[in-house]
Amino acid sequence: MIWPKFKDWIDERYDIAELKKLAKSKLIPQHRYDFLYYTGGITLFLFILQFITGMLLAFYYIPHVDFAYESIIDIVTKINMGWFFRSLHHWGAQLCIVFVFIHLFGTLLIKSYRKPREFLWVTGFILLVISIFFGLSGYLMLWDERAFAAVRVATGGAGALPFVGSFIKIFLRGGVDVTGDTLTRFYAFHVSILPVLSLLLIGIHLLFVQYHGMSIPISLEKKEHKEELFFPNVFYKDIIIWLVVLGVVVTLAILLPPEIGKKANALAPPPEGIKPEWYFLFMLETLKLFPGTIMGFNGETIAIVCVSIGIFFFFLIPFLDRKSNRNEGSPIFTVIAVVYIFYFITMTLVGFFD
Amino acid sequence: MKYFIRILFIALTIFLFGFLAFAEEKIPVFPSKPIEAYTIYTTLAVFWFAIIGLIVVIKMKLNEIERIQKLGIDKEDPHTHLLE
Repeated sequence: MIWPKFKDWIDERYDIAELKKLAKSKLIPQHRYDFLYYTGGITLFLFILQFITGMLLAFYYIPHVDFAYESIIDIVTKINMGWFFRSLHHWGAQLCIVFVFIHLFGTLLIKSYRKPREFLWVTGFILLVISIFFGLSGYLMLWDERAFAAVRVATGGAGALPFVGSFIKIFLRGGVDVTGDTLTRFYAFHVSILPVLSLLLIGIHLLFVQYHGMSIPISLEKKEHKEELFFPNVFYKDIIIWLVVLGVVVTLAILLPPEIGKKANALAPPPEGIKPEWYFLFMLETLKLFPGTIMGFNGETIAIVCVSIGIFFFFLIPFLDRKSNRNEGSPIFTVIAVVYIFYFITMTLVGFFD
Repeated sequence: MKYFIRILFIALTIFLFGFLAFAEEKIPVFPSKPIEAYTIYTTLAVFWFAIIGLIVVIKMKLNEIERIQKLGIDKEDPHTHLLE
């Protein structure tokens, strides 16, 4: 009895019927690449999962250089189900970045970035950068020797950029080296600045998706294709996929809980075989390709500049691919996309097994 | 012989003490009691059964929706007379 009354109460104040009509009128194209539409939904689901588990961990985490490591040990060993939520947060982050990459590469291959969806690409790309920075800042929260060394290498790499490098390095570290100030700074990024930015960008991204509708690959645009309703058909399919993803994350969290190393010590040498997180491996392997000095210039600086140019070109693809914008096939940009994906996967695997 | 066994015993004790004292202590990131581990793995199996059950129910619901859509009886008729 309460529910119909509540419904009437809401109906009197808000035009819910119009919203329902809008949800029921949204159509999703059906074709052989339509599985790529679900990768965005999976990423959104994982983001939500990260927000929830992150909030739970924030109740017990102490962002101070003397207590950060100990508070994580307390979360894992003393807090009820603490080990599980920490592990869930870790694996959720890993899978979230995996699906951001799959979503991005899928968009690149079927050229969903083409006119008029350039800003969808821009917001998605910024969200990828934010996700990676989420990963890096979250990694330092552990304050163990591996996290410490990895952040030192990553921020040091940013410092090799010409002109702005040293400013970025000092800004990120909060000083010349990785210290307690870096931890405080990364904590601020991880729990306040990045979540606000990502929520804002996710909102804009979803708004653009609703505004433009779903993109169809150029090769299929002129052909006849079926469409299905977003609500309830695709919505139910989304829920099925989300349930499977939840099952996978929970299974990984239980079977492979992330280890905790020794407490970070700025004076101790970095541990042997130190590697950054998997999404930085392609950059690390690229840096290894360059010699120490090239014609008198610092090899690392040249490598960082080359990687930055590569990433910047990647970002500009929607604005450079004129043929796709005219809905014509552009094999050059398909080749470029394949090269980018192949390079990323190969270098990541090389770094992983090295 | 007795002397040799004594030295061996002392050496083993020192080695064992050193091994335990300086061994890298791993922080347990998973409950170590067998009963807790058993409960967790059982819960995981139940969780997967629940997920599969939910998927089956949603899939049945989806099939029914698609059947109704195919029949064309999912749309409201704007000319239908309202019951007084």
